[in-house]
Amino acid sequence: MAITFTTPARASFLLRMPKLPGMRFLAGNKKARLALIILVPILLLTAFASYLPLQGPLQTNLRAMMQEPSFYHPFGTDRMGRDVLARTLAGVQVSLLVGFSVATIALVFGIVLGTIAGFFGRTVDRAIMSIVDIFLAFPSLLLAIGLVSIVGTGLIPVILAIALADVPRFIRLQRSLVLSLRSRAYIDAARTVKASQWWLMSRHIVPNTIAPLLVAGSIAAANAILVEASLSFLGLGIMPPSPSLGNIIRDGQLYLQQAWWISTMPGVVILAIALSLHFLSDGIREALDPRARK
Amino acid sequence: MNFMQPITDTVLQVHDLHTHFLTETAVVKAVNGVSFSLKPGERVAIVGESGSGKSAMAMSLIRLLAYPGKIVSGEVIVGGRDITKLSEAELNGVRGSEVGTIFQDPMSSLDPVMRVSEQMIPPIMRNLGLPRKEARDIAVGWLDRVGIPDAAGRIDAYPFEMSGGMRQRVMIAMALSCNPRLIIADEPTTALDVTIQAQIVELLKNLTAETGAAMLFITHDLGLVARFAHKVGVMYAGKIVEFGSAADVFAHPRHPYTQSLLRTIPNAAGAERERLLQIPGFPPDMRNPPVGCSFRERCAAAQDRCAVSTPELTFRGVDHSAACFLPNGLNDAPAPPKPVKRAIRLSNEADLVPQQDILEMHNLRKHFPGKATFPWSKPKTVRAVNGVNLRMRKGETLGIVGESGCGKSTLARLLLGLDEPTTGEIFIAGIAQMVFQDPYSSFNPKMTIFNIIEEPLIVTGAGTRPERAEKVRALIKQVGLEESYLDRYPNQLSGGQRQRVGVARALALNPSVVVADEPTSALDVSVRAQIINLLCDLKDDLGISFIFISHDLLTVRYISDRIAVMYLGEVVEYGPAEDVFLKPAHPYTRALIDAIPTPDPAIEAQRSINIISGELPSPLNIPTGCAFASRCFKVTDRCREEKPVLVAHSQKRDAACHFPL
Repeated sequence: MAITFTTPARASFLLRMPKLPGMRFLAGNKKARLALIILVPILLLTAFASYLPLQGPLQTNLRAMMQEPSFYHPFGTDRMGRDVLARTLAGVQVSLLVGFSVATIALVFGIVLGTIAGFFGRTVDRAIMSIVDIFLAFPSLLLAIGLVSIVGTGLIPVILAIALADVPRFIRLQRSLVLSLRSRAYIDAARTVKASQWWLMSRHIVPNTIAPLLVAGSIAAANAILVEASLSFLGLGIMPPSPSLGNIIRDGQLYLQQAWWISTMPGVVILAIALSLHFLSDGIREALDPRARK
Repeated sequence: MNFMQPITDTVLQVHDLHTHFLTETAVVKAVNGVSFSLKPGERVAIVGESGSGKSAMAMSLIRLLAYPGKIVSGEVIVGGRDITKLSEAELNGVRGSEVGTIFQDPMSSLDPVMRVSEQMIPPIMRNLGLPRKEARDIAVGWLDRVGIPDAAGRIDAYPFEMSGGMRQRVMIAMALSCNPRLIIADEPTTALDVTIQAQIVELLKNLTAETGAAMLFITHDLGLVARFAHKVGVMYAGKIVEFGSAADVFAHPRHPYTQSLLRTIPNAAGAERERLLQIPGFPPDMRNPPVGCSFRERCAAAQDRCAVSTPELTFRGVDHSAACFLPNGLNDAPAPPKPVKRAIRLSNEADLVPQQDILEMHNLRKHFPGKATFPWSKPKTVRAVNGVNLRMRKGETLGIVGESGCGKSTLARLLLGLDEPTTGEIFIAGIAQMVFQDPYSSFNPKMTIFNIIEEPLIVTGAGTRPERAEKVRALIKQVGLEESYLDRYPNQLSGGQRQRVGVARALALNPSVVVADEPTSALDVSVRAQIINLLCDLKDDLGISFIFISHDLLTVRYISDRIAVMYLGEVVEYGPAEDVFLKPAHPYTRALIDAIPTPDPAIEAQRSINIISGELPSPLNIPTGCAFASRCFKVTDRCREEKPVLVAHSQKRDAACHFPL
């Protein structure tokens, strides 16, 4: 009696999936498809890196220093004979973790504070926005460098430092979205039946801001990956020997003439990830806004 | 090049025009074989509902189609040349100099960062080959002719420094400035207020008569056609289904669609209040137009042959042709649709017991403080609602009319508690609910119809979940939709269906008063009738009181027991609908009734129309005396100094005028 698993509820859920215009569109959108073609293999390789026949990312082999890319070392080896592919994949893990965490933190704080500022207006709005404006006055990389030099290096401080620079942007974005939604007729319709402010925000406002926020979120993730690489390159991010795309590039830059692959390979991977995240955000935007389609 | 100029007296000849929109997924056949011609000095109106292809047709005539529109076949002959075969450079010689264009929205068709002079003078220089100074004189002359005060000075103004009416006058001056023989106007007055619309229509009438230019104008307003057009073409599904002189088409329509359309609007004479006719079904999908007559599925007179072959336009008399197999359209049907005899019932005085007042407003005011120019100066205040006293009895329908900016929508917001009044009090026995103007923006696009109708019940904590579901199903049936619609999203519904959902939501909490703010103005003519019938039925069945806010005076007259006329935040006249309409007491009411064209050329021809001049004064600077003094034809010094109050004019009527009519 194995067939009784399929409950009608589950079946109807599956039937409903194609109704989401975004899902259907992502599958048919060229940019989004290209992004997924690049991202999915990178994600798979990263997730299953430990099962690949590679030496560990920290394992040195002094007999095989600075070897050119080959079958056994597809990305070559570095000055201590470590496998660059293994290190790059470990670095991608860090990068993706940073990108995803920063985007999540920025989205959560942005939605909460931006909605409060935009919805209530007046004093609350002025208080939140004046703090936001102060943060927006600093270049995001400088802000991150300053914070890391105070708090110290490492994964968590890097994530927090980058997120701190992004949160004000998301608050500002969410606030402007809320302001444009606040005067919609359906908000008035709900107010005529004395709906609570919580109801208005959670039912009518936030669900209608999610789409543009997701677009901004995927760009923020790409940006966070680049900032993390920059910080690590400057020696302010993830500390060696733990690999990060930034510090691998930094390691290799001294040997660019003798061993170009040490810096170039992780560089290409960063480019691929950042580019595909941008494509993905374009795809999401086009999926959600029919006017963006040509 | 020497073009042979055929010796004809036609300005424009269109032969079998086909315009398609080649979208990614399908070909939308917007215009499907249109032929007609225009003589000099003729004003031809093209009417049709949205999606009938009337705008695509008009834009094809000057090849201004938006991407991905394309003229597929046909000829458009202007001045002996076929527009469809000209190059872009040759076209620019035709546009402006031979064909002038007036668009719907004067704000978006004038460049906001260029002075009027910069937009007007270069085309005159180019098309008439004149030096700048003379071109400027011509431009000033035209601005003067279209009624722009101080034209020589105003020509250097920016569009945003002018009102909507003024901008449309500038558009008209621009269209006429190079002496075109043909003017194409796409909904030229739709974006304007009724009194301004009347002024613009009068202006266009006089100017085309003076210059002898022919005019093709697109509209959905049958009243405007009756007032303005010599001839009318009715478009349906990309084809002209009836064409003829306006008087003849209105008096003896031959095509079933025209016949139906004319019966969906309230009777212009206003005597009988029969139920309005509803046209069943929907217009065909133009991606896949049906074989045969495209109206057959909605037509009571449809026969077998209508599904096989397409009727062509055939003559039905002098200057009158229709595309129907039957000589008299619906009148030849075996069972012509009869108006349902359930007449709309007006509430009798006897039914209305004074004790049953359901709504009272006392000295209601809403002022919006503006920004002060200097910190020490007194900020200017917009007095949107400026002392309104009204009362409504149970089961009564109150119509509120007035131009935009008269405070009628603010009044509605005060009644619903969306805004707090500055001073004054509102008493409502029970609760008030609202039907919104634009049924699309009044629904959260992320919610299903079920959730939308259920929302008021959840918010007020009414009943358990199954009880609420039961109530929602009852409501959707009450507004004439099937239960299957409940799972859909607002964008999957047509305009009329959405407005029904809007009504269902308003009824969810069993309100005692329903405020309907322009509930039909975003809808097509044939759908309007459905919504008006629905509101009338609900009034009868449920005994709900309605406040019906509109600038469509005919509809207000049809549906209302009483009318309140508002001007600059005040009620200037109040009384039984029929009385107010037939014998207005306040000069403004009179002007408003005159401004609104009736959809009957015979009546229009007999009316003595007094069009008021000027525009609504800014609500920032309300005059000290009578608010209407600046536009009134009976104005005296007393009116400018002493403010008239709303007093009893006759037994049932109040008016705020020192010298009532």
